[in-house]
Amino acid sequence: MEQPLYLEERSLVKRWGGPWSILLNTAFVLALFYASWWIFQDPRGIMRMYTPYVGYMWCRWLLVIMIWIAYIFDFWPFKRKWLNETHPVVKGVILTTLTVVLFTVVLKVFFETILGEYSIAYFSPDRLQELGIVEFYAEEYSAQAILMFAAIASWISPAWVVAAESSPWGNLKQPVKGFTILMFTFFISVIVYFVAFHSHMAILFDPWQSFTAITPPWWEDFANTVHGNFNIAWIMCCTVIVWIHETIWERYPFCMIKTNWLRRCSSFFGIIVVAIALSFFLYYAQELVWGEAVRGTRRLMSPDWRWLHVGEMAIFWLVPALFMHFYMKNGINGYSKPVNALFRTVVSVIAAVILYYVYYKTAHLFLGTQKGFSHPQQFPMIPMIWFINIMLINYWFMDGWPGWRLAQHEEAKQDVYAHDEVRMTPRFNYGLAVGAVCGIVVYFAVVYILPTFGNTFTIFN
Amino acid sequence: MLNNENQGRRDFLKGTATGIGFGTLASMGLFSYSPLREFFLPKIERKFADFGACKSIKVTNISETSWFDNATLMGDIKGAGGLLVNQYDFNWAPFGDGTGLAKGSYDRGIATIKHLLPEKVDEAWDIQKKLAVNADNAGGFSCLMDVERLDGSRKKYLLDVGWNYQWIHKCFKREGIDKMLASGEIDTIILSHEHFDHFYGLPVAMKYNPNVKLIIPEGFYKEGLQYIKDSGHTGELVIAKNGLYEIEPGFSTYVFDVPIICRVFGEQSIFANVQDKGLVSITGCCHQGIIKFANTAYKELKYDNDQMYGIYGGLHISPFDDWDPKYDDLVISLGKWDFKKVGCNHCTGLLTAEKFIAAGYPVVKGTSRFRSQSHSYLGNGDIINFG
Repeated sequence: MEQPLYLEERSLVKRWGGPWSILLNTAFVLALFYASWWIFQDPRGIMRMYTPYVGYMWCRWLLVIMIWIAYIFDFWPFKRKWLNETHPVVKGVILTTLTVVLFTVVLKVFFETILGEYSIAYFSPDRLQELGIVEFYAEEYSAQAILMFAAIASWISPAWVVAAESSPWGNLKQPVKGFTILMFTFFISVIVYFVAFHSHMAILFDPWQSFTAITPPWWEDFANTVHGNFNIAWIMCCTVIVWIHETIWERYPFCMIKTNWLRRCSSFFGIIVVAIALSFFLYYAQELVWGEAVRGTRRLMSPDWRWLHVGEMAIFWLVPALFMHFYMKNGINGYSKPVNALFRTVVSVIAAVILYYVYYKTAHLFLGTQKGFSHPQQFPMIPMIWFINIMLINYWFMDGWPGWRLAQHEEAKQDVYAHDEVRMTPRFNYGLAVGAVCGIVVYFAVVYILPTFGNTFTIFN
Repeated sequence: MLNNENQGRRDFLKGTATGIGFGTLASMGLFSYSPLREFFLPKIERKFADFGACKSIKVTNISETSWFDNATLMGDIKGAGGLLVNQYDFNWAPFGDGTGLAKGSYDRGIATIKHLLPEKVDEAWDIQKKLAVNADNAGGFSCLMDVERLDGSRKKYLLDVGWNYQWIHKCFKREGIDKMLASGEIDTIILSHEHFDHFYGLPVAMKYNPNVKLIIPEGFYKEGLQYIKDSGHTGELVIAKNGLYEIEPGFSTYVFDVPIICRVFGEQSIFANVQDKGLVSITGCCHQGIIKFANTAYKELKYDNDQMYGIYGGLHISPFDDWDPKYDDLVISLGKWDFKKVGCNHCTGLLTAEKFIAAGYPVVKGTSRFRSQSHSYLGNGDIINFG
């Protein structure tokens, strides 16, 4: 029998009634975010890792390692007793330190030494310097390759647990289960890396490394660029959709499928299909607001940045969705699962648009980033993922301290919401058809008003 | 019965909610990247703004070597915390205060030399050599634009004023810029943007004509505006707004609200319409990108023969000999704009120039003198004629 994950098993209750717990945790997470941003990332701060790729690599990989700890290894080797009885702050410090140590090992041993010294030079900054690249770019190029790996892993690793339900290794005990899934998802990630990003890295150097990679890359004609940002777009959307599927959608609609293998396959590949649809739409939305991309331009008008911005926009959606899930119990729970999911989607998308507007309007005033949309060193993904990491530390590692605490046994079930089961009845099917038509209308209405919306809400003149 | 109806209604709502998601996502996936999407895209309407024409334009490269060693400059940038660090904080000359890399400030730096500006620029730089980080690595960008009007008269403009006082002073003397400024033959300086290598050498120009007219793009920070005053400038200061700024028939600047490394914001470049030839683009760094620059002209301006004729200047592609696949996009797509003369240098990057040549573009080669590094470039002291 498969044991539920610790995160599924535990139950959190608010320490205080009303909005106080939410407000307190929001303030706590924001304070932690800003302090750590200043120490590690801010170009005006102490360590100044926002170069940008070094800082980007760290925040992407910390996210992946946290997923490994919480989802793949289910906090092994820590015992449930330790997890339940240790003070949340102590747990947070220990588990966060472990995350950093693990990534340091992965970075230095796996990427920079095993791969960089004995296999592919671009993973090692030292090798690149020996080949004539200046130190700054040697570190940037290497970090770029390593973070692209993390982009894939941050999609595949949780997808295997959430969508494929850890199958076929769900019944194994830890750490065998964790290592098995880690090895398998790592293997898949390596394949996706070579297909999606190796060609990008190969044309970073002159001449193009045509004997070791496909150059120009296979996506050139379709994406209107040779840049790997095309793959960043749909992979980032996959990462975001995995978590949307797990949190505010509560695995709906794939959870309707009763046959295990069909549900797992449908969920895993369905997430990819939804992510690709999302990435196409977010690219189109930019065309509607800013006009068609022109190949060879830089920044706002270039196809490569537009694809990158697809991923950035998706991350803007993930932040409010996770916030709703962690601190508001998904926010809307009074209806059936599909209706809840729809309302949560609408609310989180509106919140994402507001966050997007506020971020671009103000981030340069307090994060040390550059004003404007498309500066090569302006990566909203870094502060957004950094913020998500802080939320994960708070919610996964610290049990939502200080606003929440672990529930005692008798309190454990109080927040569970009962839903009707969703069945494919004739009325459901009729509603499905009507809804599909409405969905198409909604899509074209959005497409129609986006240019006007873009002109009305101008962020930078 | 009532329960059945209620259940039916609930099922309908569940189906509708699911269908809305399905219909929206299906439309997103099937329509958004299909050829049909063009139906809703904003149509490009060319405006053909007539800004006149000139007979020809000659550009003399005063200095394109903004720094002499990439590794040293990038070492400074890396050591200070990367490409987003405020340029006034680096402790680069002329704002060095002796406290070391990334610990500088405009106020403390300028206080060490302000009393010498603009008359004793060489002496000021000697002080900065002791206080600033890697002052000897500084060079600068500057070029002279000599416009021949349709009536045959000529008018000279200076684009940018370099960085290192002593280097740019020497370059000015080599090309006779000092005399042109002093005599009023050059009475207007156009500053492309606020970057150190295009702007910090301002006191050298002020030494010869503090009353010169200065045209800067909007976006200068308070330190930059203060530096203009501290350099001794007493003439008219024009802050060009985003878009076209007409200087004389056939010769305009165009300001782009582009974010740039080292916290700089905004750049202006020059459009010249050469009679019977077409459009010439002259740039300091072209942070907006040469294709964006050309595309802007295509959408906004009227120029002879509807022809993109020439380019001069830094194209900001691989200034630190770095590379990115998006630069390949530029190299691949530049050909469709059909430029007849490409005179590139400075932040274009040597690798880019070589890729342009390999792609068969009409790159005008240089003489590789006065510390310019390659014949693939138009180097220091080289001249290019358009028209």
